[in-house]
Amino acid sequence: MAITRRQFMTYVGGSAAGAVVFQACGVPADELLVQAPVEMPEDLVTGLDNWYATLCRQCSTSEGIVVRVMEGRAKKVEGNIDYPINQGSHSARCEAGLQALYHPDRIRGPMVRVGERGSGQFREISWEDALGRLTEQLQNIQNDGNQSSVVMATDPVGGHLGGVVERFVSKYGGRHMGYEPMERTTVRRAIKHVFGQDTMPDFDIENSNVVLSFGADFLNTWGSPVRHARGYGEFRQGDRERGDFIHVDSRFSMTAANADKWVFVNPGTEGLLALSIAQVIIDEGLGDAAAAQALTNNGRFNLGAFAPDNVAGATGVSAERIHEVAVQFASHGPSVAIGGGSAGAHTNGFANLVAIYSLNQLVGSVNKPGGVILNPTSPFKDVPVTAGVDSFADWHRLAEEMRNGGVQVLMVRDADLFHGLPQATGFKGASFNVPLIVSFSGFIDDTTAMSDLVLPQHNSLEDWGSDIPDAGPGYQTVGFQQPVVRPFFEHRGEHLGTRNFGDTLMAVALGLEMDLELPGDTFQDVLKDGARQLFEENRGSVKAVTFEGFWNGLLQRGGWWDDSKKETHVFAASPLVEVPQASFSNRDFYLMPFATTGIGDGRGAALPWMQATPDPITSATWQTWVEINMHTAEELGISEGDVVRITSDAGSIEALAYPHPGVSPNVVAVPVGQGHIAGGRYAKDRGSNVYSILDASSDSTTGALAWAATKVDIVKTGEWKRVPKLENTVTEPPRDDERLIIEITPLDS
Amino acid sequence: MAENKWGMIVDIDKCIGCQACVVACQSENNIPINEEGHFNQRRAIEWIRIERYWEGEFPNVRARFVPVFCQQCDDAPCEPVCPVYATYHNSEGLNVQVYNRCIGTRFCANNCPYQARFFNFWEPEWPESLKNQLNPDVTVRSRGIMEKCTFCIQRIRRSTREAAKDGQEVEDGDRGMSPACVNACPTHALTFGNLDDSDSAISKQSKEELKQPAGSRPGGRGYHMLEHLGTHPNVVYLKKVDKTAEEHEVHG
Amino acid sequence: MQEHVQLSQKKINDDLLAGVLGMPKWWLGAVGFLLLVIATGIGAYGYEINKGLGVTGLNRPVLWGFYITNFVFWIGISHAGIMISAILRLTQAEWRRPVTRVAEVMTIFSLMAALSNIMFHVGRPWRLFWVYPYDFSRGLFMNIRSPFVWDPSAVMTYLIGSTLFVYVALIPDIAVVRDRATGKFAPKIYGMLCLGWRGTPRQWKLQAIAGILLSALVLPVFVSVHSIVSWDFAVAIGVEGWHSTIFAPYFIIGAIHSGVSAVAMIMALAMWMWKLDNYLRPDHFDAIGRLLIVVATTWFFFFFVEWIFALYTLESPELALRELQVFQAPYMWLFLAFLLTSFFIPVPMWLFKSVRRSPGLMFLSTILVNIGMWLERFLIIIPGLARRQPLQFDWGSYHPSIVEILVVAETFAFVALGMLLFSKFFPIIPIFDMKEGMQVREEIKIGRRIVPASIRETP
Ligand SMILES: Nc1nc2c(c(=O)[nH]1)N[C@H]1C(S)=C(S)[C@@H](COP(=O)(O)OP(=O)(O)OC[C@H]3O[C@@H](n4cnc5c(=O)[nH]c(N)nc54)[C@H](O)[C@@H]3O)O[C@H]1N2
Ligand SMILES: Nc1nc2c(c(=O)[nH]1)N[C@H]1C(S)=C(S)[C@@H](COP(=O)(O)OP(=O)(O)OC[C@H]3O[C@@H](n4cnc5c(=O)[nH]c(N)nc54)[C@H](O)[C@@H]3O)O[C@H]1N2
Ligand code: SF4
Ligand code: SF4
Ligand code: SF4
Ligand code: SF4
Ligand code: SF4
Repeated sequence: MAITRRQFMTYVGGSAAGAVVFQACGVPADELLVQAPVEMPEDLVTGLDNWYATLCRQCSTSEGIVVRVMEGRAKKVEGNIDYPINQGSHSARCEAGLQALYHPDRIRGPMVRVGERGSGQFREISWEDALGRLTEQLQNIQNDGNQSSVVMATDPVGGHLGGVVERFVSKYGGRHMGYEPMERTTVRRAIKHVFGQDTMPDFDIENSNVVLSFGADFLNTWGSPVRHARGYGEFRQGDRERGDFIHVDSRFSMTAANADKWVFVNPGTEGLLALSIAQVIIDEGLGDAAAAQALTNNGRFNLGAFAPDNVAGATGVSAERIHEVAVQFASHGPSVAIGGGSAGAHTNGFANLVAIYSLNQLVGSVNKPGGVILNPTSPFKDVPVTAGVDSFADWHRLAEEMRNGGVQVLMVRDADLFHGLPQATGFKGASFNVPLIVSFSGFIDDTTAMSDLVLPQHNSLEDWGSDIPDAGPGYQTVGFQQPVVRPFFEHRGEHLGTRNFGDTLMAVALGLEMDLELPGDTFQDVLKDGARQLFEENRGSVKAVTFEGFWNGLLQRGGWWDDSKKETHVFAASPLVEVPQASFSNRDFYLMPFATTGIGDGRGAALPWMQATPDPITSATWQTWVEINMHTAEELGISEGDVVRITSDAGSIEALAYPHPGVSPNVVAVPVGQGHIAGGRYAKDRGSNVYSILDASSDSTTGALAWAATKVDIVKTGEWKRVPKLENTVTEPPRDDERLIIEITPLDS
Repeated sequence: MAENKWGMIVDIDKCIGCQACVVACQSENNIPINEEGHFNQRRAIEWIRIERYWEGEFPNVRARFVPVFCQQCDDAPCEPVCPVYATYHNSEGLNVQVYNRCIGTRFCANNCPYQARFFNFWEPEWPESLKNQLNPDVTVRSRGIMEKCTFCIQRIRRSTREAAKDGQEVEDGDRGMSPACVNACPTHALTFGNLDDSDSAISKQSKEELKQPAGSRPGGRGYHMLEHLGTHPNVVYLKKVDKTAEEHEVHG
Repeated sequence: MQEHVQLSQKKINDDLLAGVLGMPKWWLGAVGFLLLVIATGIGAYGYEINKGLGVTGLNRPVLWGFYITNFVFWIGISHAGIMISAILRLTQAEWRRPVTRVAEVMTIFSLMAALSNIMFHVGRPWRLFWVYPYDFSRGLFMNIRSPFVWDPSAVMTYLIGSTLFVYVALIPDIAVVRDRATGKFAPKIYGMLCLGWRGTPRQWKLQAIAGILLSALVLPVFVSVHSIVSWDFAVAIGVEGWHSTIFAPYFIIGAIHSGVSAVAMIMALAMWMWKLDNYLRPDHFDAIGRLLIVVATTWFFFFFVEWIFALYTLESPELALRELQVFQAPYMWLFLAFLLTSFFIPVPMWLFKSVRRSPGLMFLSTILVNIGMWLERFLIIIPGLARRQPLQFDWGSYHPSIVEILVVAETFAFVALGMLLFSKFFPIIPIFDMKEGMQVREEIKIGRRIVPASIRETP
């Protein structure tokens, strides 16, 4: 067909007009092209990718991951198959490390506050300037001989970085405090009491026949959920007979949902229940006789008082049930008892956990397949396995000290004190008496927003590091973290952008003319020195002729481990302790705060994938909801989405009601981790912070925050807001009565 | 090269509802961020999702989890209704979705009994820096079109191509080939592989588990979800084991 | 049976062209109002294109909503045209004469409205043409198994067929207008449109044959179109309540029900608007009323049978759907309204001759039917998707957004405007047909009564 020039111009004009119209409607330009052959998915054009092994830092477990990198950009996180803890698997939280790396609200360089404290107004300065300001202040304090007024608060920082921090603080003369929002101080102390160990043990769920757990949401958020879940898969459908799983908890958690039996227990009576189980086992001669002797201190500790009939009332568990659980636990070994979470977060948490973990001694499952596997010590001379964590009582004292002007400089790194410490401590108010708050965090969390000076660290995927997993897999293991991509803000030049935290401290030390006596000038040197120690041991998973070869092997595999190096020494059982009555205020409902699958204890709140991860039980996302018993809610006239005011002695928050059939009528459960005042666009001013209304009660032995010891009242505010959740809001909870979806068999094939 | 037929086994007895698969899929497949509003509008996109079903009430309450995603039905009801062949069956037993072809009638989604199809009501948006994470192997879908689980076809392609380069066939259980959700799952509730390869773990296991009870032999735990609809899925579910439950009659 | 006023040819011409050649006062106002509604609708649609279908109330799993409901509704309405003209013409029912054109024209505009709904509905309307075989060379072809391929083809065929049908019948009347039109352009345009009609016997003969042929040809299309539309649902094995073999005849009879009602409605409107009392007589309404009783009852029978089919199996998903439709708010109220408006109010009304002969009451009752039939489609489509499904996590609900409501309103305004414009430019009562009726009328005596002869046409 012949087209004249004129016609051609007309057509062009016509289609241009069309294009303009479509553009005006917002249709993307490429939509105008007729595209693609039918076999599209097969035609995909791909580039080259690389997978680098490193450590995940999205939660404190620090598991081994591999990161897919294309053209210098991290694309995907997967579990490191080699890494002993997680063996290739990972949790929902790990993937989101990418979103932390590429978060639009990351701190892009050092900053100094310009507005009021807490106003969130900062001005960028150069690293030289920032370091100078901090050094000057520290110098002044040093000149006054007031070094103990300098406090360094961090997350429980372990590995070689922990070493650098300790060295810096002790050389300077300040104090280092470790902070965990849902701290595990109590469980560590109980482990120490029962097993005589500082490190957390491994639970050999995989080879266990009966798992009896108390309070710990160990498949979801407690300890190393990925490791537990991996074992759980084998436990259920491995080569052996299918295991039985009993979960004792005051909240119907994801872990409870997966148990064969969920035993509801009145909050604070977990220890009573455990003692009662011990009583049945000893009484019926099902356990290890020697251990029974030791545990009861040769009969001096009278367990008779805890016979099922005597505790049934207090615990809310029937005597038959207690008996049944005890017999099952003791007679179908190997079995393992796990305790933590809310069971250890009452005022009597320590005693509860001692009773629970002692059950392992009683049935002789310590350091046996299918039981509690003790972990060996660190392969390094100077780096311990356990990172220091301070108890709530310590933080409470610190707040007091701050109020009295005893703290001159508060340095923080990844410890969101302003978010996590209950209002009752008065921490926020006291912080105004601290002249200088410095944050080393790479992200605007609530605490960084309250700081005066920010010296941002790299994202973990851009950074070096190491970790000794605690709990380990039962043998010596060290994870090595390498940068998988170059620092995102590298292009901003060396005066701006982010830095390694260790390097920053070393630069400050240099400014103070303080010799940290570290092997080298950079954190990487410290790390390499650690690696050299392992190289010289010449054992374990990586061996090489040269150190260079060893180093490369180490980074390729993501760490080093020696599965022949185990803990062999088993302590004899130490006597049980009295379980005091847990104390609560006088209100209607027990408040069960819980960490969620997505945002965990709050550390994932900034990441949209984590916010959008449905809670397994409620499928809720992005908000703070309150789980309440279906019928109780009906009585109170509360239906889903009603905004409910939750009031404790310490304050009140609002949350969206989510009634469901799995909550006890005397309990309400609220997820932690929302209600940030900062935290970037995805976290800021979203939901409510349940930490803030916790009573300032603590464990009577360890001083740890008793975060499950608060009671609350609830009232309907009259407002309504849709609960953002995956499941639709329908007239009744979904039940697969005809088993069209989930088929069930009593038989184990 | 031998033909492949990709399939998946989901062991509900292992699945704990941890959502690792869900987020892994979001990350691998450039699924738009599900904002709060998307959930409220019931337009969140999760190619694999965990459904939770209640049984009983407090204190004898149970919640059971089941991962649901495209079952890659051999007789897929979604296919015949698509007017433009945007969804069709490929030679490897996959129900493929050609984004470029889709005109957004949503007919396929109505006809999918598994609710596995997701419509892009909005143009996907990411803050500029978050785009760095997007997987270059996977098209970002514009608004107005349908999407769903692809069994991570980009991974299958990449590994078959790389294997072919070395003159080999893809190996079953090859990690590089495994879909993102399978690699993520901490309990190993998901198994992926070639159903047509008689040596593959998945074909052996699915044969074993799909055995019907006979005589004293209890039969396997395998079943297809909504089997009575005759969609012939390539996903085999393994029954949840619950000693207190009664064997459920096979529904018709 | 015809009561009539014998009118002169001149009077007929004057009356029936009054609308075309004059300009009633309300006309501009009405057109203005409709244009406003249309502009709002187009604006809303522009917004939808700009933002994506997110601006509708659709969600998972209710992925079809107002637009598809409205599509089916307009397809239904369109069926009246052919029903009235073709069937009545073929069966030579005398009372059809003044009614046919209204019905046919309505067919055309409602088909256009229906097609536009498809455009509103899809995610990427700019690619809608892909459902036609347009590009063999690239190996791209539509999937002929999908009803969504047959839909547009059938609707297009129907649209083209009925447009020709109307046009052929219109030619002699255009010639009359041509001869009376004044001004510079009007005579020329009408002259072109009437294809040189001079009224020669050969032309009359050809026109009549073409009319009859087209009637016969369009009839099968009429049956197929709504069958195909019903398959949009009937093939959906995934949706309870849609997957029913009775849907094709059920949809067709439903379409006739709503379509014939719409014709009665528009007849009343036309009568009032263009003062056609001499042409649209109570006996026309009477006749249509009787037809409606038959149609409505047949439709109700199918409706009933469909329910029996559904409930007979006693399958839980089906029961869940029916329960949702009948016992759960808001569908429950809609269902009640649907039953009352589509059957239980109008049919008893029509049983009374006084009602049938009253244009006002006929107008009211047929409006009710159309409300009811719109609801019927809604109640088939939405609860089917929103019902409690096996995967209960995803059963849902649906609230139309303001955008959808505006766009749907636009389709009504569009059809109304189309009719209004048509009746402004062309005679809405077939002039030649009326005259023919006058010519061939003859009274005959049957027993003691004198009745008009039923007329056999002589082509
Ligand atoms: N290393 C190297 N680089 C080069 C070149 C080279 O030879 N070597 N050549 C250069 C030249 S000449 C060119 S033209 C460019 C080409 O560079 P690009 O334009 O990037 O071309 P492709 O990578 O082939 O295709 C881009 C993407 O389009 C997708 N695609 C395919 N069909 C369609 C469709 O219908 N619609 C849409 N939306 N997407 C579709 C593909 O899946 C692919 O992901 O590269 C340039 N860069
Ligand atoms: N399979 C496949 N085919 C494709 C494409 C694809 O992606 N895949 N892409 C298509 C596209 S987008 C393009 S642009 C074409 C490109 O197709 P070609 O234009 O054929 O491109 P090349 O093969 O890159 O280069 C052609 C030749 O130019 C020679 N050459 C290099 N420098 C010079 C010079 O200075 N002078 C002269 N005289 N010769 C020189 C090179 O050695 C080479 O032999 O391919 C198209 N065909
Ligand atoms: S559980 Fe924690 S450390 Fe382990 S991979 Fe997931 S986020 Fe990372
Ligand atoms: S699960 Fe649904 S989307 Fe997937 S093949 Fe089957 S019908 Fe199609
Ligand atoms: S939404 Fe897309 S894939 Fe689905 S039927 Fe319509 S055109 Fe086909
Ligand atoms: S197979 Fe791939 S696309 Fe499908 S659910 Fe798993 S990760 Fe997502
Ligand atoms: S990752 Fe595995 S265990 Fe977790 S929800 Fe998915 S399928 Fe279930």
